[in-house]
Amino acid sequence: MTQLAEFEYSGRQSLLPALARAAIIAGSYWLLSLSLTVATGSLAAVAGCIAACVLTGLPERENPFKRLRTAVILLAAALLATMGVIAASLITGSSAVATLFGPVAAFHLAEGVKWLCFSFALTGAVRVLALRSSAGGIVEVLLVATGFVIILSAHRNGMINRPFFLGDFALSRGLDPATILLALGCGAVLCLSALLLVEENRRRLPYHFALFGLLCLSLIGYVQTFGLPTPQMTDDLGLTGNSAQRRDNPFHDGENNTENKQAPVAIVVFRDDYEPDGGAYYFRESAYSQWNGYMLDFTSLPDMDRDLIAAPGAPARETVGSEGRRLVSATIGTLVPHRSPFGLDAPIAFENAPNPNNLRFKRTWDAHSLVPEFDLNEMLGRPVGNPDWPEAVRQEYLRLPDDARYGELAREIVGGLRPQYAADPFARAWAIKNYLDRNGIYSLANEHAYAEDPAASFLFGDLTGYCMHFAFASTYMLRSLGIPARVGIGYSVPAANRAGGSSLLIQAIHGHAWPEIYFEGYGWVIVDPAPQRTLVDMTTDPQNELQQLLGDMLRGEAAFEEFLQEQAGYTINWQFVLGALPALLAALVLAGYAVKIYRLWIPAAAGLAAQHRLSYRAAVDRLAAVGVRRRFGESREAFARRASATAPALETLTAWHLAHALGERPPSLSIEDWNATRRRVSGEISGNTGTGKKILAILNPFSWARAK
Amino acid sequence: MNWDTAMQAQKGETPNAQDMELADAIGVLQRLRDVVRGQVIGRDDVIELVIIALIADGHVLLEDFPGSGKTTLAKALGDAIDKTCGGDDRESEHFIAPFRRIQFTPDLLPSDVTGVPVFDSASNAFHFRHGPIFAHVVLADEINRTSPKVQAAMLEAMGEKQVTVDNVTYPLDELFFVIATQNPLDLVGTYPLPVPQLDRFLFKISMEHIDRLSELEVLETWQSRRDGAGSDPAVTRDELLASRAAIDRGVAIAEVVKTTLVDISRKLRADERVLQGNSTRSLVLMLPALQAAAALRGRNFVSAEDIELLLPRVLGHRIELAPGAADMNRILHDNMREPMERLAGSTLDRG
Repeated sequence: MTQLAEFEYSGRQSLLPALARAAIIAGSYWLLSLSLTVATGSLAAVAGCIAACVLTGLPERENPFKRLRTAVILLAAALLATMGVIAASLITGSSAVATLFGPVAAFHLAEGVKWLCFSFALTGAVRVLALRSSAGGIVEVLLVATGFVIILSAHRNGMINRPFFLGDFALSRGLDPATILLALGCGAVLCLSALLLVEENRRRLPYHFALFGLLCLSLIGYVQTFGLPTPQMTDDLGLTGNSAQRRDNPFHDGENNTENKQAPVAIVVFRDDYEPDGGAYYFRESAYSQWNGYMLDFTSLPDMDRDLIAAPGAPARETVGSEGRRLVSATIGTLVPHRSPFGLDAPIAFENAPNPNNLRFKRTWDAHSLVPEFDLNEMLGRPVGNPDWPEAVRQEYLRLPDDARYGELAREIVGGLRPQYAADPFARAWAIKNYLDRNGIYSLANEHAYAEDPAASFLFGDLTGYCMHFAFASTYMLRSLGIPARVGIGYSVPAANRAGGSSLLIQAIHGHAWPEIYFEGYGWVIVDPAPQRTLVDMTTDPQNELQQLLGDMLRGEAAFEEFLQEQAGYTINWQFVLGALPALLAALVLAGYAVKIYRLWIPAAAGLAAQHRLSYRAAVDRLAAVGVRRRFGESREAFARRASATAPALETLTAWHLAHALGERPPSLSIEDWNATRRRVSGEISGNTGTGKKILAILNPFSWARAK
Repeated sequence: MNWDTAMQAQKGETPNAQDMELADAIGVLQRLRDVVRGQVIGRDDVIELVIIALIADGHVLLEDFPGSGKTTLAKALGDAIDKTCGGDDRESEHFIAPFRRIQFTPDLLPSDVTGVPVFDSASNAFHFRHGPIFAHVVLADEINRTSPKVQAAMLEAMGEKQVTVDNVTYPLDELFFVIATQNPLDLVGTYPLPVPQLDRFLFKISMEHIDRLSELEVLETWQSRRDGAGSDPAVTRDELLASRAAIDRGVAIAEVVKTTLVDISRKLRADERVLQGNSTRSLVLMLPALQAAAALRGRNFVSAEDIELLLPRVLGHRIELAPGAADMNRILHDNMREPMERLAGSTLDRG
């Protein structure tokens, strides 16, 4: 007889929405992880997400989470995520794993473990919340939205072509990649919202979506004000990053990978015509020149490396030899934060330049350089070193590790020179370069980084390494022969990358280190080994459109600039919004309390005619506050019966209320009858509810919103 | 819900005539219910529905299995009604029995139900011998086993409250109540009632087995009930008719209740799982039933609870489902929720 009075909602989900939901969430993880980790991490994130979706979506009977309390699940998720991070740091920290599988594999393994745990825990927790509470679904949508927002913000931070396939697709068609990302994100969020509506077990109320909007708004406000974690370059020889940050060890082999190498880091606009002889543009940032006991480091002596420029505005303290050199100016804008400015070899002055676009460029400056115009052959017969150098400085430029093998190998190499060149510094340097060119193997994955002397491990080992190894090895050998040399660091961009225009895009892969020798009158001359065998494909897509676009932007004359300006016109004053948001929230909460108090107080002030409505409503409000609410479609009598466990007197109140609302001859009652019964209901509620629930009931400003 | 306590606040006041009349009627119904409950154990819900149908001037169709107590129920109801009443002695009264049972078989003839004119040699004339249908409570057992013409005769009597034999019309009593039964499983050699004929029944009630404790109680008390079967009637025919009138006048049906009924019907008709929705007549018939249900609960107005109780019983056998749809309760429930929510919400509206 009573089967129709029961209002049960089944928790079953059909397969298709569940799959679609899993795909959307996994997609957002994938996009998010693209800029934060390597391919293994992205894959692990997707796998963890799908596993969590499948596990939580299992039918009731097989569901492993069924018997667990929500709090326990959330705690377990937090624990799992923490364990993932700890495990990852253990894997990278332990030498056992690195020696067993190699550092690269260890790094990938760690990233995989970390992201798998993270995405599994987060997805599981959020999915359980979404299934168990009506507001939890909002968190889920927000999570996906955040994924896209981070991508979007990373895009705004200069990672313009990330993810690459999307960025390239958009840029080659003259679109702002942000538009595509935005469309994708909106689509994903809309789909997920629709799926939440489809989910039958919980009713989503309009105010849930209002809440969602509010959360989104505050998230955007937060992002605008404080920014989001900017995706980090995994390897750039320490050129990028904050100026305070410097790596102890310039060798970090295991962390090298080519994943992010295409990422644009800076754009150069030439103000003078220049085409390098050597086939590559060299931008010097600084140099490792002083022996610090275990390897070459930045100098700490005031008289050493006087040609390097400390900061924009401060001129070089020593003008490089102007012989065979010409002044070339270029404007450089960095797309990611850099440690210090850099300029074409050899920079003599940096001047701060107006930044045409704060959104895009971290820093802009004009670099004035004396670029080499001479042929390297002119160095033949030239003396090395600067006669003005104090003896201490000259000695510093000749110091090398206490390892006789450098000298032995160097002498062996120069031993093959023809007698007339045997003592010539340039000929000797060229011989060493040729030796490395012929015998060295270029590779990003190697295991020298944690050797006591990585350069020795490279040079006297497998001769497999990357620019840092080649530069250090040749510098040490040159120094062993009495030639003042140092390791210059900066960027080296193939001349072929410049696509005819006046702009040149520097990508992360162009980060470089090279040996340089001081020739009297010419200054520091780069003698860069170029290994003939390589294990890495170092060719990059020069991204001509992007190069053109960023160049135009840096010159401040781009159509794209107008587009961004146009956008800037639409943007909201975020400071104002951020200030107004808490005020708005506070006003909302206050309004909620006002309505709540009004609805509870008004029966005491109202006349008899309205009592049946107001007294009953106040009683139902109180019940709703402690979580006893009438379900959709449930009759008031059935609700009163159900609520009689908490407040038996509600049945009387319901009877009176309905007799007034639906009947023609309601019982004649006095105001005292109403007040007494209403108070009885209140008394019964507080008698039958736990303290915690009672406190929540008092605190909740919108408890009345769901009382019907 | 304890409506008696809800109404206690009324005590001490001087209720108006209508309320007093209604209170009497409620008393009659509760007395009748209590007496029948004493005879039929574990069937409180069915007893309530049967009394509601009796007051609403409708008939019920019980779908059940043999030995489920339907005869006991019908007989108890018939026995509880005292047909004699002082003063108002009408001509027809002596041939109206309180309770009759007709077992329907394939070879039954319409005259076996209605009665037949017989020749009386003493008066040298035909006079009508009344059939078993001339009773207050008629149990039409296994109504689907008899031929359609007998069914038609029976159903005409139910609809018109009269029988016509040899062009002479004999009126049935004002208090005429049929409890028909059919076995839902044993269908071989039956003539199932088509939907238009089912429409004559106010309720179709599917009975379930009574619970364990009730069954035990039946075994405990069967002797005493057998011996005390001739217990005194609880209510008189006239009391019942008066109650019927009082409830009709005294139980209010709010506008929003009628709106809800119409909304539910319209939703049902629009539902793609429904081939043919319920008739308007079913809604008209439902109103007195709702009033009776409200009165039985001591209320003087119809409420959502009454709709929840009666609507599935009234509409369930009047709706034809589309091929493939089977779960009538689910369909009714789906279509009731929204209008019922509107009804519940309306009570808080500023009137």
